[in-house]
Formats: sequence, C-alpha cells, structure tokens
Amino acid sequence: MKQRRLFSLLLVVLMFVMSFSGCAKEETYENSNGSKENTSGGTDNEVSKTINQDEITLVFSIWGKVQEASMVALGEAFTEKYPNIKIDVQVTPWGEYWTKLEAGAIGKSMPDVFWMHTNEINKYVKNDLLMKVNDSMVDFSKFPEHVTNLYTYEGEKYGVPKDFDTIALFYNKEIFDAAGEPYPDNSWDWDKLLEVAKKLNNEEEGIFGFLAPYEPQAGFYPFVYQNGGTILTEDKTSGFALPETQEAVKFYFDMINEHGVSPNLDYFAENGNDTAFSSGKAAMMINGSWRILPYAENEMIAGKFDVEVLPLGKERATMSNGLAFSGSNISDHPEAVKEFLTFLASEEAHIIMGKTSPAIPAYQGTQQYWNERLEGYNADVFTEMLEYAVPVPTSQSKQKWLELLKLTLSSYIQGDINEEEAFTYITEEMNEILETEK
Amino acid sequence: MRRRESDIMWGLLMVSPAIIGLIILNIIPFLNSVSLSFMEHDGLSDPIFVGLDNYKRMLESKEVVRSVGSTLWYALLSVPGGAFFGLVFAVLLNDKIKGKGIFRTVFFSPMVVAPAAIAMIWKWIFNTDFGIINYILSIVGIDKIKWLTTPNMIIPSLAIVTIWSSMGYNLIILLAGLQGIPDHYYEAASIDGASPFRKFFSITVPLVSPMLFFVLVTSMMNAIKQFDLFYVMLGSTSPSASKAQTLLYLFYNYAFRMHEKGYASAIVILAFIILLLITAFQFWYEKKWVHYE
Repeated sequence: MKQRRLFSLLLVVLMFVMSFSGCAKEETYENSNGSKENTSGGTDNEVSKTINQDEITLVFSIWGKVQEASMVALGEAFTEKYPNIKIDVQVTPWGEYWTKLEAGAIGKSMPDVFWMHTNEINKYVKNDLLMKVNDSMVDFSKFPEHVTNLYTYEGEKYGVPKDFDTIALFYNKEIFDAAGEPYPDNSWDWDKLLEVAKKLNNEEEGIFGFLAPYEPQAGFYPFVYQNGGTILTEDKTSGFALPETQEAVKFYFDMINEHGVSPNLDYFAENGNDTAFSSGKAAMMINGSWRILPYAENEMIAGKFDVEVLPLGKERATMSNGLAFSGSNISDHPEAVKEFLTFLASEEAHIIMGKTSPAIPAYQGTQQYWNERLEGYNADVFTEMLEYAVPVPTSQSKQKWLELLKLTLSSYIQGDINEEEAFTYITEEMNEILETEK
Repeated sequence: MRRRESDIMWGLLMVSPAIIGLIILNIIPFLNSVSLSFMEHDGLSDPIFVGLDNYKRMLESKEVVRSVGSTLWYALLSVPGGAFFGLVFAVLLNDKIKGKGIFRTVFFSPMVVAPAAIAMIWKWIFNTDFGIINYILSIVGIDKIKWLTTPNMIIPSLAIVTIWSSMGYNLIILLAGLQGIPDHYYEAASIDGASPFRKFFSITVPLVSPMLFFVLVTSMMNAIKQFDLFYVMLGSTSPSASKAQTLLYLFYNYAFRMHEKGYASAIVILAFIILLLITAFQFWYEKKWVHYE
C-alpha cells in the first residue's frame, strides 16, 4: 500500500515538473556557422553565463527574422576580434518583442544588446535601463544626424545608429509598358502622379493606379511635408491645424474616394498593400527602402518593378527613420557590451550589414554595398533622398495620437464624418494629448 | 498515525502540486490584476495609485460599453450554436452508421489545430475579394459579402469560426453523455408512437443535460475571453475592428499598445465580474432544467 502511494506521489511530482518545462531557460553558448535561432516564448532570458574564466556570451535581441542572418554575421565578425565573447542572436517577432523586453527589464534579466526603436526609447531611458553611448565608442559624425537625434535624450546618446530608411515611389514596369506610359522620373509632381494613376487605373482587371493605404510614415506623411505642412509643430502642438497639412492629407486620401484610383481601407485590411503590389495589382505605390530587397527576391515581382524619387509637391520631402543598437545598463558584462557596441558603430560592421541586411546601413559611405545588391534597380534614390528627408515625428505620447489619427481619419475616409469635423477633432484631441507631456 | 489521518495527509500531498500551481499561476496574478486596476502603470516605471479613476473612466467610456455588447453578442451566437451543432452531430453519430470512428476524428480535428492557424485560414476564406465563400456565392449570383470589414458582420463571422472549431469538442463530450442513455427508453417511446423530434426533446435532451450544462458553462467562459481569433483575423489594420472589439482585445490594446496597464486591469476585472455573474446565473438556472439521476 505504501509503495503504491509513493509511486503515485512520484507520478504527481513528475507531472508537476513537466508542466513547468515550458518555461525552461534557454541557454545557448555558441553561434557557429548555422544560425542558432532561439525564439523562446518563455519569460526568462539568461543574460550571460561565464563558462570558464574569461568566456562570455552576450544575448543580442532583435525582431525581424529577415535580418537574422545579417545580425549573426555581425556577431561572428565580432567574435573573430574578441574570441572570448560570443554573441547569441535571439529573434522575437515584432508583436511580442516589446512585451518580452519589458518583462526582461522588470525581471532584471534583459538581453545585453538589442534593437531600439523611437516608439519605445523614452520608457527605457526614463528608467535608466540603457547604457549611455559616448564619443569614445562612436564617431557620430559618420552617421545621419537625424537618426542619432532619435536616440538622444537630454543631451545624452543611448543608441548606436544601425540603419536609416527613406520612402520612395515604387512602380510596376509591366503595367506601364502595357499602357505605353513612360516610367516616372524626377520631374514628376503631384498633378502628374494623379494623371498617370488615373490613366493606369483599370477597374475591369482589378488594377489600381496608386495604392493609398492608411499609413503614416509610408503614406500621407511625405505628402504633408511636401506641401509645407507638418504633423507636429515646433512647440509641440498638432500640425493638423495648418491648412497645408489638411490639404495634403485630403489629396492623399482623395485617391480612394474622389478619384477611385486606390482601393479602400477594407481592401487593405484584408489584403495589405505589399500583397497587392507584389501580385501585380497596382501600378504605383509609395513604400520604404526596407521593402525593396524583399521585392527583388520575390519571384512574383522581381525584375518587374523599379523605384523613383517621390513626386515634387511645393518642395521635396520624404520621411526617414532609423533603428539603433542599445546596450543594457543592467548587464552583467558592461565591458563586453561596450566593446560590442563600439564594434557595431564601426565601418566594418556597417559594411557587413550593407552586404547582408535588407536595411540601409547608417555609416557614411557604406550604402554602396547595399546598392550593389540591387543592380538593375534605381536603388540609389533612397540614399539620394536623405538630403531632403524629414525625421519621422515622434513624441512621448506618440502611440496615443497615432491611434487618434488612425481612428478619426479612418472615419473620414469611410465617409462617416466630413473633413472639417475630422481635422477639427484631431487638432483638439491631439493638442490635449500633447499637453499631458508637458 | 491513524489510518484516517494518514489518508488525509497523502491526499493533500497528492493535490499539492496542482494547488501550488493554481496559487502561483492563477490566484496571485489575479490578485495582482485587482490591485493594478487601482493604479496607473506604463509597464516599467513605478505604478501610481489612482483609486477608482480607472473604473470611472471605464463606465463612462462608449468604447467599453460597445465592447461589452460585442462580447455578449458573440457569446450569444457562438455558445448555443456550438452546443446545438455539437448535440445534433452527436445524436447522428450515436446511431449505427459505418465509419463512425472516422467521422468522430474528422469532427474533433479542429481542436488539435493551433487557434492562430485556424484564424489565418478562415481569414482567407472570408476574404471579400479573393475568398472562397464569396467566390461560391458569386457563382450562385449573390453579391460579395464583406465578412470581416462590415462592423455588423464581424461578430457573426467570428461566431461561425468558433462554432466550427468547438463543435468537435462539444460533440465528444455530448456523445459520451448520449451513450449513457439506455436504449430501452427510446424503444418504449417508439412503441408509444413518438416522432424523432419528440424523442429528442423529451428523452435525449433531459438525459444529456448534465453534459450539456458543462458544455454551455465552459463555452461561455471561452466566449467572454475571446481574443486570439479577433487578434489574428482582424488585427489593428481593419477600420471596422474598433467597432466590434471584444473585451479582452480591448484589454490587450490598452495593456500592450497604449501601455496603460492600470486601465487595462480594470477592464479585465470587468470581464471577470461579467463572467462571474453569467456563470452564477447558469448554476442557479441549472436546478430548473438539468436532470440528474
């Protein structure tokens, strides 16, 4: 009888232990030639393990599986210089990345180095979680100022610029050829854009002249700035009070309702602008530099498209954003983190990224390696446009007013409210939200 | 130790892992949520105590009221629907037909597929321009229906997916219940000239009612907690999504996109209270319709 009970107890304990195996800590020590991918869904993140005296492993956290190989290449190049420090690249999908990072921060076991984004940096800096990046580690003169600024807070820098992006015009060459229409060039303006969009729009075949999804950065923002408007004024009030901003937003979304050359929001919700373009259902659209390599590798659209600078409004403008590498301020291995960050700020690292990443490396002069991979396409325009690029507007309460913009503008586009109501409401509410930051 | 005390000790020992798990993974986080609901918390900085502010904001919010409505409507469509179809197919499968085992496997298979996978496939099936349902309808001459982009159609579409996927699970449980009903009841009823419908409502339903009760209670709980279907099928890009959000999707929005974890916790407590009331009602009503032998 006793034996049976002991056995049962053993089974129960076994069951108990097994049910926790899902939360096991993932420890990987090497990143040999094959990329050792680690998408642990658990909340534990072993920061680093000291195996023997000097060997250290730094956890390097990123989102975007498509860039994993590139990051692993960086890690390997670094380990060649510092053989006792290994880099463990961990990919977490965008949707869960910030939740996981936050959980790590609270649990005091953040990754050592990770990608940082302007949407989130404020929180981390306020809570002293990011390592300060100083001039001895990074030569900031080699990086686009606007990217560095995105990661500067009260004069201190908290990120090593990784890449920059700009927005350009993408067009489907086959559709242009079929209609005998010359390709876009840098003489185009808004009127020309609309004219050609109307010509190439073909309802019967389900081909749209111009895709105008609800997208801020890769959508209506560039038009706003081209028209002399702005999203956020210098004294942090809503730019939607300006007629220039309103005009531009109206021009963009009129593509859907007024001119019928763009699908409506429902279509985009179900199909997405990427799918529409790569399936050959759109003559033109605007999109970011991060999309060109994926399209070039997508056999459905490869070779059938090209890019051009954005059409001219009252002035030339495009949006630009950039990611940075940040180091954890609570890492067990601050020295190693510093070394890695310094490496990531070097020309060598950016050359590696230029050769392997879909994003344009930020270090001056390394963009050519990226351009080289895009032979046959007009990819130089992305770097050219940096000259007149506007940094993507951001503020502490960005998420809130972005949500406000989306909901209100969506109602306007679908005809639930008219433009006056929409812009007045946006201006009022946005200013209220921005007030809370002061 | 006397025999009885020894039994009790062993009993407690055996259930202790489950109880510990329950406390650590369910009870403590729940109490945490309750306390968070009285605070403002962005996730990283220290929480700030705000008393009943979150609750006041919630009760005055049109968005929350609409969300409660959407969630209840979804529950009303999917719970009886899932239970009903589960029961109908269970009855059909209870008969002596060939290939019973195969049918049961087929019906049960949605349960072993990941919810996210189910959602992705159904999202394409419901696609307005390229989905298969609208394609078939167009052959018959019916206009395209905007399943996931018309605010009023969203909840019914989600309910359809839920009924489809939960039917199998309900079926298995109800089938077990059906097999406990002695055949001679049906025989006696046949002799008295009862129609199949009469037999169903007067014999089958009452005798399977304990199982049916279980199915209704658990389905209701899942319905109120609906999140993953909505998240995958609608996500944040659909302009109509905000008009039909379920309570827990609203929670997710506030907790992880707007970083207002205090307010989000209040929403979760609201969901909990609603579920508590519904379940209490179900248990009270149980006495009136569930027959135990």
